[in-house]
Parts: sequence; C-alpha cells; structure tokens
Amino acid sequence: MRDYGNFLKSNSGIFAVLAAGLVLAFVLGSAFHLNLLTIAILWMVLSLSWNLVSGYAALVSFGHAVFFGLGAYAIVLLQLKFQLSPWLGLPLATLLGAGAGMLIGVITLRLSGVYFALAMLCYPMALIYLFEYLGLQEVTVPMHREEPLWFMQFQDQRSYAFLALGLLGLALVLCKAVEQSRFGLWLRAIKQNEPAALALGVRCFRWKLLALTLSGGLGAAAGALYAEVVLVVTPTSVFGMVVSAQALVLTLFGGLGTMWGPVIGAVLLVPLAELLKHELGAELPGINGVIFGAIVVATVLLAPRGIFWRVREALGWKTANDPFSKPGDSATAYASQWVPEQGARTDPAESNVPLLRVEGLKRSFGGVTAADNVSFEVRQGEILGVIGPNGAGKTTLMNLINGYIAADAGSVSLDGQGLLGKSVHEVARSGIGRTFQVARVFPDMTLFGNVAVGALAGPSSGDWRAATWRALDLVGLRSRADVLGGQATARDLRLMELARAASQRPKLILVDECLAGLSSDDVEEMVAALLRLRDAGTTIMIIEHTMHAMLRLADRFLVLDHGCVIAEGEPRSVMQLPQVLEAYLGRRFAEGLAHA
Amino acid sequence: MLEVENLSVNYGGLRALSEISFSVQKGQFVAVVGANGAGKSTLFKTLSGTVRATAGAIRFDGRDLLQVAPHERAHLGIAHVPEGRKVFASLSVLENLEMGAYSRRGRAHFKQVLEGIYAMFPILADRRDQLAGTLSGGQQQMLAIGRGLASSPRLLLLDEPSLGLAPVVVDEIFDRIGQIHREHGLTILLVEQRAGEALDACDHGVVLESGRIVQSGPRSSLMADTGALRSAYIGA
Amino acid sequence: MTGISWDEVSFTLELLAQAIVSGILIGGVYALMSVGLGLIFGLMRVINFAQPDFMMLGMYAAFFAIAAVGGMAFAGPVVTTLLGALVAAAVVGLLGWGVHRALLSHVLSEKQGGQDAQVMMTLGISLLLQNGGRMVFGADPLTIRTPLSSQAWSWDFLLINQGKAMAFAVAIVLTIGLQLFMSRTLTGKSMRAAADNPEAAVYMGVNVGRVHRIGFGLGIAMTAAAGALIATSTPFQPYIGLDFLILMYASVVLGGLGSITGAFWGGMTIGLLQQVSTVFLPIQLQNMVVFVAFLLIVLVRPQGLFGRVSERI
Repeated sequence: MRDYGNFLKSNSGIFAVLAAGLVLAFVLGSAFHLNLLTIAILWMVLSLSWNLVSGYAALVSFGHAVFFGLGAYAIVLLQLKFQLSPWLGLPLATLLGAGAGMLIGVITLRLSGVYFALAMLCYPMALIYLFEYLGLQEVTVPMHREEPLWFMQFQDQRSYAFLALGLLGLALVLCKAVEQSRFGLWLRAIKQNEPAALALGVRCFRWKLLALTLSGGLGAAAGALYAEVVLVVTPTSVFGMVVSAQALVLTLFGGLGTMWGPVIGAVLLVPLAELLKHELGAELPGINGVIFGAIVVATVLLAPRGIFWRVREALGWKTANDPFSKPGDSATAYASQWVPEQGARTDPAESNVPLLRVEGLKRSFGGVTAADNVSFEVRQGEILGVIGPNGAGKTTLMNLINGYIAADAGSVSLDGQGLLGKSVHEVARSGIGRTFQVARVFPDMTLFGNVAVGALAGPSSGDWRAATWRALDLVGLRSRADVLGGQATARDLRLMELARAASQRPKLILVDECLAGLSSDDVEEMVAALLRLRDAGTTIMIIEHTMHAMLRLADRFLVLDHGCVIAEGEPRSVMQLPQVLEAYLGRRFAEGLAHA
Repeated sequence: MLEVENLSVNYGGLRALSEISFSVQKGQFVAVVGANGAGKSTLFKTLSGTVRATAGAIRFDGRDLLQVAPHERAHLGIAHVPEGRKVFASLSVLENLEMGAYSRRGRAHFKQVLEGIYAMFPILADRRDQLAGTLSGGQQQMLAIGRGLASSPRLLLLDEPSLGLAPVVVDEIFDRIGQIHREHGLTILLVEQRAGEALDACDHGVVLESGRIVQSGPRSSLMADTGALRSAYIGA
Repeated sequence: MTGISWDEVSFTLELLAQAIVSGILIGGVYALMSVGLGLIFGLMRVINFAQPDFMMLGMYAAFFAIAAVGGMAFAGPVVTTLLGALVAAAVVGLLGWGVHRALLSHVLSEKQGGQDAQVMMTLGISLLLQNGGRMVFGADPLTIRTPLSSQAWSWDFLLINQGKAMAFAVAIVLTIGLQLFMSRTLTGKSMRAAADNPEAAVYMGVNVGRVHRIGFGLGIAMTAAAGALIATSTPFQPYIGLDFLILMYASVVLGGLGSITGAFWGGMTIGLLQQVSTVFLPIQLQNMVVFVAFLLIVLVRPQGLFGRVSERI
C-alpha cells in the first residue's frame, strides 16, 4: 500500500495533467472544444518529442515536422493501400518515425549548431516537394461505415481526446524515465559541456542518436493520431514550417529541457492561438503568427530558458534538477574512508617503470611548430611537472596525448597500448584523465553531480556512489558537495575537475594549470589534494607555472621551449641549467645569473 | 603620463592583481616582467579595457582611464600591441597599418608616419599588399608594432612581443623597440616574460609575482639585485 | 549511337545552354541576396533566420515606391527598377539596423544561450514579419510590372529575357558597389577588421558594436534590394521568404562562411544548379535540388569551395 502511495506521489505531476485532461474531456460539450482539446494534446506530444532532442540535449532542430508528417502519411497510406487498421498503423507509424530518426541522426548528427538546425529543416521541406511529385497532395482517411471502431472512427469526439490523452500519458512517462535515467544525465552533460563529457569517455554520438530515434518515434505517433483526427493530410499541413515552429515555440515558451515546458506551453498557447484565429482570423489573418512571433522575441529577451525555469528562479528554487546531483542520503553511507592502494607509494627513484611513453611527437600549425620531436616518459606513481615559458607547447602536448589534436608524427603509448589516432573518449576509456585550464563544469549540476558523471562514465559505474565519494574525499570536497557548479569558487571547481578525473580510477591524470591565480591558502589545498591523489596510486603529469608549489610537488621536471624538450630530470638541478634559465629569463639575463 | 594606483583585478573568480601601483613618466620606457600567471596579461587587459578593474585607479594625463570605454582609449593616444600580435589576417599589410591609424590623431598624420614605419621595417614596405595572415611570426610582430605606431601614439603598450618567436627574431624586435624609444622619445610600457631582453632595453623596471609587485626601480638597480627575480621565476 | 538521335541530343544541349544562361541571370540576383547574408554572418556570426523575410519586405517596399511614382513610366523601366531597389535597400536596411539595435544586440551579449538564443530570436522576428505582412499586405500575390519582363533578346536559339538581364545587371552593380565600400572606405575596412579580429579592432579604436549594427543594416539592405529585383519577374506574397531560406544559406555555406566573394559565387552556383536541373528533372523535384545541395555541402565540405584562406580562428 505504501508503495502505491509513493508511486502516486512521485508521479503526481503526470497524474494531475492526465486527470485534468480527463475532466476537460467530460466537461466540454461542443465538438469544436473537444477538437481543440485533442489538437492541443497532440501539439503537446510533438513538443515533448522536440524537447527530447532540442531541450534535453540542446540539439536545436528546425525540422521536427519530418517525423510528424511521416507518421501522418504512414497511417493514412497504410489504410488506403492495405486496408490496415489504424490501431496497427499507429505502432507501425511510430516505428517508421523512430527509424527515420535513426537514419537522419546517422547522417546529420555529425553537424552541430546552426548547421544541424538548418539541415533538419531540409528534410521536411524536401519531403513536401517529393510527396507533391508522388501525387500525394491530398490524402483522406477513408470512411468505414462498417466496423468503425476497428478503423478508429468514433461518433463522439470525446474518444479521440481519450486516445490523445493515452498517448500523452505514454509520452510523459517516457520523458520522466529519460529525466531520471543515466541516459538523461548523459544528455544533460552533452548540453551543459560536451567537450567535458567527451573527455570523460561519454559516448556522445550514441546518446544523441538514441534521443533522435525516440524523438522520431514519438513525433510520428503524434502525427499519426493527428491525421486520424483531421482526416485530411496535405504535405504543407504536416511537413510545413508551421508544424516545426509550433513545437519549438511551445517548448521555448514553456521551458526547455523539462517535460513540464511543453505542457505549460501547450496549455497556455494553443487555446490562445486557436481563439485568436477564431475570433480575429477574419479581420486580421495571420494574427496568431504575429502573437507567436512576439512571444518568442519576448521569451528570448526576458526568460531565455522558458517560463518554467524563470518561475523557479523567481521562487528561489535553486537546487539542481536532476537525481544524480543530490548527495543526500548517500553522504553518511559512504563516510570518509579513502585508503591508499596497497603498496602504491614506492619511492619514485626506484620506480622506473614507464607508464606513458612519448616518442618523436610532432605537430605544426601553419608555420608554427608546436611540438618538435618530443620524447619523454612518465613513470608509474610519479608526479611529472611540465614547465616552460608561455607558448612553449605544453597544453598542445596534453591535447595531443588526449586526442583533441591529431599528431603529424610520433607515437604515444600507455602501458604498451598505442594512443595516437584514438578519439577523445576512447583515450579517456584507456585510462587517461584530464583537467583543463578553464574548468569545464556542468553548471546546473552540483559538484557531487559533476563528479558523479565521471564515476558513471568510468569503469566502476556499478558502484558509482562509492567512487564519487571516494574521489570527493581524496581532494577534500566533501563539505561542498551540494554546491551548484555554476556557483562554485574557482578553487572548488579545480578540485572538482581533479575529483571527476579521479573518479574513473585512471592510470594517469593530465593536469593543466590548476594553481594559477589562487591565493596561497588555496594553493596549499590543491597541492595537498594532488599529493593525496598520488599516494592513492594515480600517476600525474602536471603543467604549472607556480614554481614554489611545483618544486614541492614534482618528482621530476620536463622543460619545454618552442615545442622542444630542453631539459628533463630532478627539479632543483634542472632549474639551474643554463638553457632553462635562458628560456625563462632571456639570454642576456641567464648569462648574468649563471655567473652569480 | 600614466599612473596606476592600488589597482586590484579579480578575473574569473581569482585575484589576478593585488594593489598594484606604479607610474610611467613621459618619455620613459618601463618594463613589467614576471613569470606566467604573475598577472602581466591581466594588467595589459585592464589597461586596454578588455577586463574590468575591481578596485583602484588608472590615470592617463590625469584623466580617469577606467571611465573611458575600451574603444575610446585609442583615440586618447594609447596604442596597443597585443599579445600574440593579433594582426588582421585577412587584410593586407597596408590595410592593417591603415586600421592602426583609425583614431583621429592617427588619420591626421598618417602619410608622414607611414614613411617612417616603412623606413624602420622595410619588410612591411616590400609586402604592403600581401595578406597579413601569410607573414611569418616575426614579420607579424613588426606589423603589429607598426600598426601601433601608425596611430601617432603618446603611449605605446607592448604585450609580450617575444611570445612564440625564435631567439634571433626576438633580438631584432627588441632592437627595434629600443630604436623607437631612442629616436622618437616615445613613452613605452612593455609587459614581458623574458626578463633579460626587457630589462636590458628599459629605463625602469617592475617585477610582478602572483599579482603583486615584488621589486621596482631603475634599470641599474634591477640588474644589480636579482634575488627577487630569481625567486619569481625559478622559485629559488 | 543506338537509341538516341542527334536531334534529341542537340535539343537537350540547346535546353542546357538556355538553362545556363537563365542560371547565370538568376544567379546574379541570388548572389546579391546571399552577399547580404554572408556579410552579416561573416561580420558577426549571426544566424539570421529572418533574412528572407526582410527580403520580402524589400519586395513590398519597392512595389509601393514604384506604384507611388506612377510605375515604370516615371523614368523608364531600368532607372525606375534601380530606384525601387535602392528605396527597398534604404528603407528595409534602416529597419534592419533598428531591429539589431533594439532586439538582437541584447541577446548577443548574453553568455547563456548565445547563438541558440539569437537564432530563436530571429525565428521569432521571422514569424512576426511573415504574419505581420499577411495582416498588412494581404495574401494576394503581387508583381512589379515592367515591360521588359516580356521582352527578350534572341541570339541564335538562345532567349535572354530583358527583365532578368536588367535585374542581373543591377545586382552586379550593387555587389560591386558593396565590394568597393568594403575595400576602399575606412568604415568598410573597419568592418572587415572587426570581423577578422574584434579584440584587435577595439584596440584600434573601432566601436565594434556600432560596426555590427551598420553591417547588419547593410546586409539586410543588400538582400532587400535583391528582393526588389526578383519581384520584377516572380510573384510574391508575405510567406515567400521560406522558399529562399535554404537557398540563401546553401549559397553562403557553399561559398565558405565568412567570405563575401564566396557568398557571391555560391549564389551564382546555386542559381545555375537550379536552372540546369530543370533540364533533367521533373518540375516538382527541381526545388528539392537546393535542399539536397545544401545537405551535401554541409556534410561533405562545410568550409565551402570559395572561401578565403585566412579565416579567423
């Protein structure tokens, strides 16, 4: 009994919406109003479908009409050509939509931003011309006086409303499942910071494709039901820009990236549009388009993410909206208990086992040689400090190892495994973690959530909570775990990046300038965190300029200048070498100092 | 001419500069040196207006510079030669120089000044119609400096002119900068990582470390007492 | 050669030649249209979804201007058309400047959303313009009547429509005018500099915000003028913009985003492509050619074919 209660409570929103719809369906009398209700619900479903891709994953699409239209034509053509009942036609149309989503995704997902949006626009527009060419300018749902129920033809408009509500229920359940699942987390990560997600080994393409597939199926289902309700399908009415724009406007207005956005948008705007068309349509044709346009402009200026989020902001509900961001109960379950790995910390002077071997690495940009025959090794369990003046090629070196840039020549191997040529997420999965000069945070997730993305994308995804807490404890972030990423201090963000990389138990972490600009207290905290990481068995390669800290941290130095390795070895002795002094201070000074 | 007073800048949530104070007299060549992360770039960006100051003041000829919009500062006679050259790659060399003379002062004297720039950097005269993006690093640096001179400035700001250039080219660039200072008596503020070249050429030096000034004085004193420099750069 | 007669081949070649001529003529106007979009995108990386709707306004502006002076009799067809194009450019360009100042510039400076927000806003503006136009102008298609549109020069078997030839000529003149403006005037150079490296442009003393506004207005003006020229041969109504949206973007992308000369040649190419496809494809599928072309370009070679070498990073 209690389970039922919890079930009702956690899905109360969905139940409320469906119940409201049912009540309206019973209360409304005229066919016109019932029709309006049904259409509004179907637009809601299409908007939910658009939201799956463009809201959750921020892949703005201008062409969702393609799925809507395919669904509409499918269900009608199946009736016309094969006398197939729309009860069977509906699931088939959904499958067709999903298949189209997958196909379109495979072709188009390699694009991003405006290219993606415009390319998506091409599909429905091309289909308009194709369908006209094929002679399908107007297809009508055939009348079946015998067996009307088998052919989804109801006397009472109410029945269509119930059908639409059923579809809406399915759509809302689907969206909720996505929001609560890891899949939803990946989409959010892609939306908030895709490069960071890639660096954690998240297979971004796969999840975007899944989103587009689901979205296609749902959109097609909405289109199919729409065809059954309006009975006549023309290319422009189902593939046209109006359809795509409507889904966009409803969601944008209501709230992007949440299932309540399309609901709010449809509830507020569809009746408004239909009313305007009805009352003023004769004297002021196109009035609803003008109002929609004005709403879009106003929304972008005043509430760029939609009403839902604006209201939330105004009410002060600043907590993260996803289930993985809440440290909550697990905090006590995983009390501070990090333990260095058995026998991990051997004296680096004895540990000569190379973990990472770089040989003859070369890379040029235009005329500039960023990496010039770079060869070195990183030994197991050590902290290797990479130093050198500005523009020496240090970050480029890390980007080459990570896979962000392709090398012109040379080899990089981790434990004997070659890394060059692998994509960024493949390198991450091979056991290399990375932090960035400018912290790549998921701003709408808590610090706990940020690190959890790493844990979930890593090898110990089964016990991700343990991995997350362990990482947080290693760097000392436990007390700030529930701070939102977008509001955390710079020091905490850098600690988070270390933790996030560490949560995947990598063999090697590449750290890019995590100390710059910090106060001396903060520097102490970062240094302590790095040392704990090393003691726990992680090898670290760190680019840094803050010399005092580096002299304490690093076991060995690697000095770069103009893309070349100019020195390698024990820190203090390396800093006395003439070529190093010259690289930093210039020849005239180095000569003076060397004799001092 | 330029007075920096207790300037503090928070940049990206970090304390980049803490209560910096120094001044540049008319006709002086001041070099600000420091290792990476010391705050040199932030200083330059605050002077040009790209970054907002958190506290303190900057005065140019007695006028509060922080109240002047970034794009107006060039019209006051301040020329910027930014880090990494930032030439207009898709414009020709001559067009770059013309853009340098965009300010009212610059347009007034451009014809004569151009002759002077060509005399100092003959390579720019040779390649005046070539796209700036096709020049080598050293040539681009010369173009950037020429572009700065084209505005007939009263103060020339140079941000790390040695960045990414081969040592031989760096020497040439610094020779030219010294020449500009000597021949025209132009007031120069140089921000640089390579302390040797910078301090050699300047009248007065300032050493930055972690956003603070740790040493400041005439060239001779900095060349003599190098303890702070060593500490700032190599931690020892 | 079995099965194909020389007559058939010769006929197809004649059709092809005619299509090429028509393609060049219409391509010139498409080029002007795309140059406007290319200027805006190259200068400030704004994706203006409403560009074709401003073009539609240009069509109406020219129509009313010409009607107000009593039609082509005013100063002869060529001069009157040129006047119409210039009025369209001025009026709609000014409107564009205003829209940027009042609306777009507020969105572009926002960190959150950024490009996404800006595209959405231009979508909203597009809806406003289309449907507002519907309300104000009505849905009946209009054309700008000129006696030239029914006259043609003939050369051997080729017909060169005089109206389209004049539109082509005016388009070329305007494009050259723009090119001269960009390369000879200080404002034009400051625009190119701001597009190349906005940070450095500020150091030079350029007010980048102001330059963006002028650039936006100028780009809109170019496209509006192109609209006025198209209106002499094609009927137009408030929703005509959508027919040209993909076409414009295909031209700009083909030419290489950020390059004005690229947009020009991209427009010519798309015009040619469209006309040549009439020889080989049934009429309903001709319009698909542009979409397919866009998809291919964007998937295979997004940097375009004609872009300049030194693209800013």
